[in-house]
Amino acid sequence: MSDPINRILSEALRNGRKALLEHEALALAKSAGIPIPHYVFIPLGAKPEPDFPPPYVLKIVSSDIIHKSDVGGVKLNVSGEALESEVEELISRVRSNAPEAEILGVLVMEMAEEGVETLVGLTRDPQFGPVVAFGLGGIFVEIYRDVSFRLAPIPIEEAREMIREVKAYKILRGYRGRPPADIDAIADVIVKVSELGDKYPEIMEMDINPLIAYPRGALAVDVRVILGE
Amino acid sequence: MNRPWLKEVLRRTLYPDSVAVIGASRSPRKIGFQVVYNLIKDGFRGRIYPVNPNAEEIMGLKAYPSITSIPDEVDVAVIAIPAEKVMRALKESIEKGVSGVVVITSGFAEVGRAEEERELVRMADEAGIALLGPNVVGILNTDHNMNLSFCPSLPYRGRITMVTQSGALAIGLVGWTWANRIGLSKMVSIGNMAQIGFEEMLEYLGDDDDTETILLYMESLKEGRRFVEIAREVSKKKPIVAIKSGRSQRGAKAAMSHTGSLAGDVKLYDVAFRASGVIPAYGLEDGFDKALALHLQPPMREPNLVVVTNGGGAGVLASDFAEEYGIPLRDMPQDLERDVRRAISPFGSPKNPIDLTGNAYKEDYIEVLDKVLSHPWVDGVVAIYVHAAITDPYEIADGIVSIVKRYPDKPVVMSMIGGREVSIANTWLRDNGIPVYPSPRRAVAAASALYRYGEFLKRVGM
Repeated sequence: MSDPINRILSEALRNGRKALLEHEALALAKSAGIPIPHYVFIPLGAKPEPDFPPPYVLKIVSSDIIHKSDVGGVKLNVSGEALESEVEELISRVRSNAPEAEILGVLVMEMAEEGVETLVGLTRDPQFGPVVAFGLGGIFVEIYRDVSFRLAPIPIEEAREMIREVKAYKILRGYRGRPPADIDAIADVIVKVSELGDKYPEIMEMDINPLIAYPRGALAVDVRVILGE
Repeated sequence: MNRPWLKEVLRRTLYPDSVAVIGASRSPRKIGFQVVYNLIKDGFRGRIYPVNPNAEEIMGLKAYPSITSIPDEVDVAVIAIPAEKVMRALKESIEKGVSGVVVITSGFAEVGRAEEERELVRMADEAGIALLGPNVVGILNTDHNMNLSFCPSLPYRGRITMVTQSGALAIGLVGWTWANRIGLSKMVSIGNMAQIGFEEMLEYLGDDDDTETILLYMESLKEGRRFVEIAREVSKKKPIVAIKSGRSQRGAKAAMSHTGSLAGDVKLYDVAFRASGVIPAYGLEDGFDKALALHLQPPMREPNLVVVTNGGGAGVLASDFAEEYGIPLRDMPQDLERDVRRAISPFGSPKNPIDLTGNAYKEDYIEVLDKVLSHPWVDGVVAIYVHAAITDPYEIADGIVSIVKRYPDKPVVMSMIGGREVSIANTWLRDNGIPVYPSPRRAVAAASALYRYGEFLKRVGM
C-alpha cells in the first residue's frame, strides 16, 4: 500500500490507538491536500531542529492526554533561542501534572498568523454515513450552533453553498473594513475532508478546529482524527 | 439490501389480477371481513378468493380451506390471521406461487418479536416475492379500483402516491383526500418495513406511470444512505415530499469530536433530504400542500418570487413568510415596476408585493399577471385574493385561470381568503391546475417547495 493516508491509518490502528497523534493527523491532512502549517515532531530526547523560522508553537504529544493545555502541554510564541529550553520545560511540566501519561515527544509548529477561525469537521451518522460540518470558530459554533451540514462526498459548488449558508457568513465576506476571506480555499478543504470521509471508513470523526481563513488561502492549524473499525 | 427482482413482483402486488384473503371472515368486526368487503364494494375487477377453513362461502364468494386449494393462480395473498399462524400462511402462499403477500397481522418486531419477522423476510427473499408489512393497513390503488385494506374507502383519485409508515394515518387521510380534493393514485401502508420500506417503494414508484408525485409519511428509515441514493435518482423524474416525524436516531456511542456533538443537534434528515432532492414537509397539511403544488405546477428554478394581492395585509404576510421559507421577495426590475404602476390604481403599490387594492376586478388581475408572468425576471408568482364585497371570487378565479394558462412554464400558486364564498372558486382553480390555499402562509410554503425542487433539478444539471 503506497497510499500515505492508508499507511498512517493502519499503523495507528495496529498500535491499538483510537485517535491519531497530532503530527500524524497533520501528515494525513497534508497528504489529502489540505494546507497545514510547517511542523516537525521531536521524539523524546531528540534535539529540536525545525527547518522553518520562529516564532513557534509547542504541543505535547501523548495518546494519554486529550486536553493538552489543561496539563500545561501547550506553549505559544516561542523564539528560536528559547526553543530547546522551552521543549525541556514543557516535558517536565507535563510530567509533573500528568505523571501517568506516556510522553512520546513534542510537536514544534509554525505559529499561524491571525485570520478568521472556522471549523470543518467530519462525523459518521449511523443512518446516513459520513457527514461534514462547517461553521465559524468560537461562540458561533459553541453557543449559536451556527453550523451547516452536508452528506459526503461534497462537490465544490455545494461546499461554497455550505459556507454561504451559515449566519456568520457576513464575517467571512469582510466585516467592518476587514478583507474578505478566501471562500474557495475553505470550500476546497470542505471537499477534501468529505473525500476523506467517503474513502476512508477507518476515519470515524475529524475536526479541523481551527481552519484559519485568510484573504488568500487557509491553514488547518489543529487537526484531530478519531479512528474506528 | 438490494433486491433487483423485487420491482417486478411488487408491481404485480400493487396490480394483481387475483387476490386470496387468508383469514376472510363473515363477522363484520374482523379485519378479514373488511378486506373482502372493501374489495367488492370498491369495485375490484380481479378475482377474490376468501380463505377460511370454517366457511363454505363468504359474501357470496366460495371460500377455500387453504390458499393451496384454490384452483387458479393467485397473485397476492392478504394475511389477516393471528401472528402465530402467519409463518405457515406465508409458507403456503409461497407454495401457491404468489408474487406478493400483504401481512396485515401485527405483533412482530413492534412488540419485540424481531426474530420471527426476520424469518418472514428470509422466506420471502428466498422465494423471490414481495412482502408488505407486517402490521399494515393494506394497499389502496385507485388506478386498479382496488381497496385491498381495511380503510373504509378508496381515496380521491389522482396522480399522487402516498407511502405511509403509519397505518392509522392512512385510514384517516383517505377521507381527507376527498374533503380536500387531493387525488391519489395509491396509498400504500408499509408498517414494520420488514422487507419493503421507503427505499423499495421509491425504486418502484420511480417507474410507475400512474404516479407523478410521491408523498411519504416517515418515522424512520431502514437504510439511510441507500434511501438517499435511490431518492436522488427518483427525484430527477418526479418530485418527492416527505413528512418526517421524530429526529435522527444517533448511535449510543457518545461523539468524541466536536463535529460529532454538533451533528447530534441537527436534523440530519433535512440534510439527507436536501442531498436527495426530497422536499421536507412539516406536518400532514404541509405535506399535502406541497405535494399538490409540485404535482400541479412546474418547478421554480430561480428565486425571484412576485406576490400579487388585492389586500395589503395579506401581501405583507406573504412577504414575511417568503423570507422565513427561504425565498425572500426582491425588488422588481424598474421596467416591470413601471408597467405595473400604469396598470393599477393610484392607491395601490407597484412594488413587490404588488397591491392591486380591494377594488381590483378580474381585468385588473389579468392585466397585472400578464405583465408579471411575461417578464423574464419573474420566476414564480403567489397570487392572493381576499374576498372583497364588490368582487365575485369565481370571476377572479376564472380570470386567473385564463391568464395563467398562457404561461405554462411559470409556476403560480394562489391563496383565496374568505369563507364559503370562495369554495367554488377554489374548486375551479384546482381543477384547472392552480393549487390554492386558504392562507398566504400556506401558499408561500407551497411556492418554497416549488423553488426547492427547481433548485435541486438545477443542482443535478436538469
